[in-house]
Amino acid sequence: MTRKPYDAIVVGAGHNGLICAAYLARAGRRVVVVERRHQVGGATTTEEIYPGFKFSCCSYVVSLLRPWIIRDLDLPRHGYEVLPLEETFTPFEDGRYLLRDSDPERTKRAIARFSQRDAEVYKQFGQKMAELGRLVKPMIDGPAPDPAARNPFELMRLAKLAKHVRGQGEEWLIGNIKMMTMSAVDFLSEWFECEQLIAPMSVSGIIGTFLGVRSPGTAYVLLHHYMGEIDGSYRAWGLPKGGTGAIAEAIAGAARALGVEIRLRAPVAKLRLKNGRAHGVVLENGDEIEAKTVVSGVDPNRTFLRLVGEEHLDPDFARQIKRFKMRGSSGKVNLALDALPEFACLPGRGPHLRGDITIAPSIEYLERAYDDAKYGAFSRRPFMDIVIPSLTDPTVAPAGKHTMSIFVQYAPYKLKEGAADWPNQREKFGDAVIDTLAEYMPNLKSRILYRQVLSPWDLEQIYGLTEGNIFHGELSLEQLAFLRPVAGWSRYRTPIDDLWMCASGTHPGGGIMGAPGALCARTMLQARAV
Amino acid sequence: MGRPRALDARDESKARGASEAPDAHGAPGPNNAIVIGAGQNGLAAAARLARAGRKVVVLERRDAVGGLAGAVEFHSGYKVPGILHDEGLVSPRTVAELGLERHGLAFRDAPPIFLAEADGPGIVIGRAGRATLETAEADAEIRARSTRDAESYAGYRAFLAKLRPLLDDVMGTPPPPLSPASAGDFWQIAKRGWRLWRHGRQDTLELMRVAPMCVADFLNERFETPLLVEGLAAPAVIGTWAGPWSAGTTANLLLAEAAAGRHLAGGPAALVAALERAARAAGAELRTGAEVVRLRIENGRAVGVVLASGERVDGATVIATCDPKRSFLELIAPGTLPIRIEEEYRRIRARGTGAKVHLALSGPLDVAARPGQAFESIRIGGGHVDDLERAFDAIKYREVSPRPHLEIRVPTVADPSLAPAGHHVVSILASYAPHDVGGGWTERRRGELLESILSILERHAPRVRERIVAQELLTPTDLEERYALTGGQLHHGEPALDQMLVMRPTPSAARYATSVPGLYLGGSGSHGGGGVTCTAGLLAARAALGR
Repeated sequence: MTRKPYDAIVVGAGHNGLICAAYLARAGRRVVVVERRHQVGGATTTEEIYPGFKFSCCSYVVSLLRPWIIRDLDLPRHGYEVLPLEETFTPFEDGRYLLRDSDPERTKRAIARFSQRDAEVYKQFGQKMAELGRLVKPMIDGPAPDPAARNPFELMRLAKLAKHVRGQGEEWLIGNIKMMTMSAVDFLSEWFECEQLIAPMSVSGIIGTFLGVRSPGTAYVLLHHYMGEIDGSYRAWGLPKGGTGAIAEAIAGAARALGVEIRLRAPVAKLRLKNGRAHGVVLENGDEIEAKTVVSGVDPNRTFLRLVGEEHLDPDFARQIKRFKMRGSSGKVNLALDALPEFACLPGRGPHLRGDITIAPSIEYLERAYDDAKYGAFSRRPFMDIVIPSLTDPTVAPAGKHTMSIFVQYAPYKLKEGAADWPNQREKFGDAVIDTLAEYMPNLKSRILYRQVLSPWDLEQIYGLTEGNIFHGELSLEQLAFLRPVAGWSRYRTPIDDLWMCASGTHPGGGIMGAPGALCARTMLQARAV
Repeated sequence: MGRPRALDARDESKARGASEAPDAHGAPGPNNAIVIGAGQNGLAAAARLARAGRKVVVLERRDAVGGLAGAVEFHSGYKVPGILHDEGLVSPRTVAELGLERHGLAFRDAPPIFLAEADGPGIVIGRAGRATLETAEADAEIRARSTRDAESYAGYRAFLAKLRPLLDDVMGTPPPPLSPASAGDFWQIAKRGWRLWRHGRQDTLELMRVAPMCVADFLNERFETPLLVEGLAAPAVIGTWAGPWSAGTTANLLLAEAAAGRHLAGGPAALVAALERAARAAGAELRTGAEVVRLRIENGRAVGVVLASGERVDGATVIATCDPKRSFLELIAPGTLPIRIEEEYRRIRARGTGAKVHLALSGPLDVAARPGQAFESIRIGGGHVDDLERAFDAIKYREVSPRPHLEIRVPTVADPSLAPAGHHVVSILASYAPHDVGGGWTERRRGELLESILSILERHAPRVRERIVAQELLTPTDLEERYALTGGQLHHGEPALDQMLVMRPTPSAARYATSVPGLYLGGSGSHGGGGVTCTAGLLAARAALGR
């Protein structure tokens, strides 16, 4: 209970909520962030789930966090540090492997073992992607343009965009059209011939989405992976020192320094509405907090169908929120290891363990994994994206011991038997993951001290992600930009006056990007809403 | 792509228009227009050019005109009116422009479609695209399953009706220039912008939202009866290399359904006959058994073709209506064109995914679920949209669907003259059957496919087997061989988001004029094509005429 009302209450201390709060406070507003859990970060979290081992339980790498946010909030001063993740290692079923790293020549030689031609164009491809990124960058650093605009200002913005696009030339435009409409495999196949390169590259297009590498619309997601901006260098991914939770802590630190009040273990039960306007929240313990505005840092589904309540929504809007696809499709398996496991195809420790390890041996393998999930079962032999953070950041595990983070796809939230059946299938799912990985790492099982399996259902239970969708909503074409989360409501506003949205369910969407939070705050301040 | 193609094209054709003024009097010579292929698009292009006073010769490889739209006598006395099934896509505008009604083309209401199900009465629906006489019936049938669906169905039809003018216009005109260079180009784009604007903000946003969706999501948002969802989804994926869960298939559905109008009386074959008459009447010369084996390019321009016989035919304008890959990668000598251009055509995805089966029956195709009713159009799936997706899954692994989806026509219901008295013909398009099936199309595999199709059919029409007089199976490889169709792709290029509009067939040829001055592409692989529309041929002819 507080006497003097706040200017804004931010619901949820995920990275976007914290960033939004920080920007509002930076503009002199009085802001409180209320968080359900015992720590900040939401899915950007580090947790010691086994004594001495710290895990980035959900999101595990970073690349998209906007550089201007890092500067504005002076995050390095609050402990933000990213260690580069340079290698990408892909073992194949025939005992061969592909190791790509930051050294173009070495990578070229590695690819040449499979295809001379592909080795030649690989570098060129990276440059091309960076060029294409020129369209996306302005798009993700500003609110989504509205192609059905009516008011002159919007039309002017559109005209500007059209001019920008035209200035890039026809070839670039065609490239972008393909990018937005093709499948990752088709797009990559226009460049490369060998599957050993196409398969591991194509998975960037499906991470976190319920689509296959041959599904149109997945090529666009590839682009995100060429926009990592550590030290301004494209396509660089990194491991946050101390796990992704450290990023959240850094942002929280910056926010507190700017005067933001953060309340943990303060789950919100309902939004407080006074004649149609949001003006505070009610906590589960009955406490009420008042504020001029409420900013939701949770996903659209939860925001409107739980916090607001359907009864307060225009039926048409409610229908559109209900059809907004959440559809979690991935899970996490986190391992505490008492020693490094070895790959049969490349024994011993080495750079290949330090980077990103991709289990995506062939297109058919990935498609079969997808087919399992389409019909409501977890992939018997899933796609996996693995990192061993302890090799790069020794602070996360006891000396000589290691942590392994395994991102697993596909694990559909809606099982044939229903989502509620996950508790019965969770460990079977974990076994499928370990068994598959053990085919490549024969001594893996003997090194496991502890295993945590997170199904989409668990992600919903623990982190409040509806249907366990890590992006607060599918990143499919019909749910992007001006359509995210609902056509006409992509500018962080909502039909409820003084209720705003600042999380991944709004443009430009998911990943540890921070743009939704920052853009929401900017829009609120420009609109003098707070 | 260096300079904007559109500009070059327009200048050229203007120039040609002038230089070929004498040609208007039919003076023979190098200024003739050559049309490669006498399919629906080739004939439409020829008719259009001839009506404009051009001297036109149409060169057809086969002994009969019509291509995939032509009649097929697969057994003595038994005919199907075309390999392609769609009959509702020819726009009134096209009919008027070519005066086809004067040449005997007639229309009729679209027949109802029977959605069969394993153990149940199935559902009879009208063609969603237009309110037909059957609409009321269809609504009643759907209402019997679900009131909500009946309402959604009405709403769905209203949505399509609203879209029709917009989509008719999009499909009936060349795609806008990618890099507008002249006032005219900007005007074209402005016109389209204005149309969208007039369409209204909410509708525009909704169109932008649904077009890239997968058809399963699009229909599941509206309907709850699985059989209905599967049945309505089928037109979006048949002939494509996609399943109902593939993004962008809703765009296919909207184009197919919103464009759907009254049907051709007599099927595609009747359209071909009318086009042939129109072309001949306008003075076009039609030569069958004249296979073009080479496009002649001199000083970078098309100057004519060479036939299999070795004969050379001159023409400053060549409109190729065979598929774009064949036109550019086979008819043009390799190395003639810049690698960049060849690459564009190599990248076109044209993988055939459907097999045709023709049956000659000694009696009607009695559907057990609906005794006494004779259906002209029947759809047999598994009863759920996921069954359609499962059928698709197979081709990802170069396998034939274990339970293919059957799109069935019984043309003899409307036109008994296609078979001896009392007898019937059945035309089936089975999805999916990949062109590049693992191990190839061996006799064994052909037998297995035919058997699985017949056993599915038998489940719904128990007496079909005993009535079979003759049967024919055409795999994608057969279609490729018989119709010189790359990959056996019925649409000359897979309908997909990235192969539509300005991307169809390639960015450099999207406005029919190609990177080779004098050479135009006007087959189904070009915008407006894909299915029996003759729009592509017509628009290519207009481009060649500089209109």
